[in-house]
Amino acid sequence: MSACDQPVPGEHHGRSWQTAHAGCITCSDEALPLRVAVVDAERGLALCEHADGTRASVEIALVEPVAVGDVLLVHAGTAIAHAAQSGARA
Amino acid sequence: MKFVDEFRDAELGRAVAAEILAAVEPGRHYKLMEVCGGHTHSIYKYGIDDLLPANVELVHGPGCPVCVIPMGRVDDGIALAHEPGVIFTCFGDMLRVPGSAGTLLDAKAAGADVRMVYSPLDALRIAKANPGRQVVFFAIGFETTAPSTALTLKRAKAEGVTNFSCMCNHVTIVPPLRALLDSPDLRLDGFVGPGHVSTVVGARPFEFIPAEYGKPIVVAGFEPLDVLQAVHMLLRQLSEGRCEVENQYSRVVPYEGNLRALEVMAEVFALRPHFEWRGLGFISQSGLRLSDAYADFDAELRYGVPGVRVADPKACQCGEVLKGVIKPWECKVFGTACRPERPIGTCMVSSEGACAAYYNYGRFARERELV
Repeated sequence: MSACDQPVPGEHHGRSWQTAHAGCITCSDEALPLRVAVVDAERGLALCEHADGTRASVEIALVEPVAVGDVLLVHAGTAIAHAAQSGARA
Repeated sequence: MKFVDEFRDAELGRAVAAEILAAVEPGRHYKLMEVCGGHTHSIYKYGIDDLLPANVELVHGPGCPVCVIPMGRVDDGIALAHEPGVIFTCFGDMLRVPGSAGTLLDAKAAGADVRMVYSPLDALRIAKANPGRQVVFFAIGFETTAPSTALTLKRAKAEGVTNFSCMCNHVTIVPPLRALLDSPDLRLDGFVGPGHVSTVVGARPFEFIPAEYGKPIVVAGFEPLDVLQAVHMLLRQLSEGRCEVENQYSRVVPYEGNLRALEVMAEVFALRPHFEWRGLGFISQSGLRLSDAYADFDAELRYGVPGVRVADPKACQCGEVLKGVIKPWECKVFGTACRPERPIGTCMVSSEGACAAYYNYGRFARERELV
């Protein structure tokens, strides 16, 4: 099992940054900046980290290539863009 | 997180607000529509409309995928949740949307196994962890979210997961914009374009708005400075007699969109001939279903759903709010019969629905005005 396999979420498990947003993922069209900690290129996943240290497994097929340290904009578990290079610090 | 701080600078915000004031013609009334629920939320949360001159009016559009789901589709979801052995998964705000006889949360209280997830990948993991159960994912969202569902379905197919299916309620952004522009109820001067939908589809699909309707559109980010800058860019277009697509969010949005996202969507989805939108009626080619190649994962085919069309409650004026014809506080039941804890309509359910956003952030300003 790779580092990108997160435990199966039952209710809210260690997703403090997502529950803290208290909004609707789709309606807010939110894309949260997360920093890449581990890349599993073969499976198209990356383990990414929010500022508070919480981690989530993210689909990276749309934004490859991805490197450790990159900041990705993540919507509904999928990275939709690299955060802008200028001033992008997670 | 430094990525956003620069775009929340209050001093810069006031500077852009001053430039906006300089760009408007006195005596002219401007009606600008922001399509995306995230922009509505930003506007209320940061008090952006307070920074604008009185003759610049922001009108909230139907960019809330939860808000536009008709009650009949909610009933269909609840029917799936009650299928024996099904684990029904969906995003959080869907849980509280009223169908004709209750919400998904009510169904859960009545014994259905309904679980909130943050991504379709979470739903797939639940399927893999529960091989003896069937997992249904209730997919919602515009083109920002559709690629996520598509990638998960590709993954399910590649990994041979058979106890996973999707009830697809994804919608597309261009047809409702066209429906609004064709509507006799609305006279808009320009659009603040959806920032993250555009990350997937690009800014190019919006070229029909200046070309066919003569209105400018500026694709905007979600921080307060992004929205203010986009409003300024629109007003400058109007004062200079220009009419084009501009990309304020160019640090993230590629003009041509994300090719890989578009390819995976084309593989996994097909356009429905029409789809019902709450408040807007049936709109052609505005909704997605699973493509024939992914028919095995289609929950509506696997189970069948009632598919009954349910009219909105008589008191509900969500349709007019979604079209920007009335403001939240002009709805007869706003804040009285319809409140976030007991919503009648979807605009109050979703935290980014215009009514909920206004209720949570805006009404104190309004009360000050009335006093």
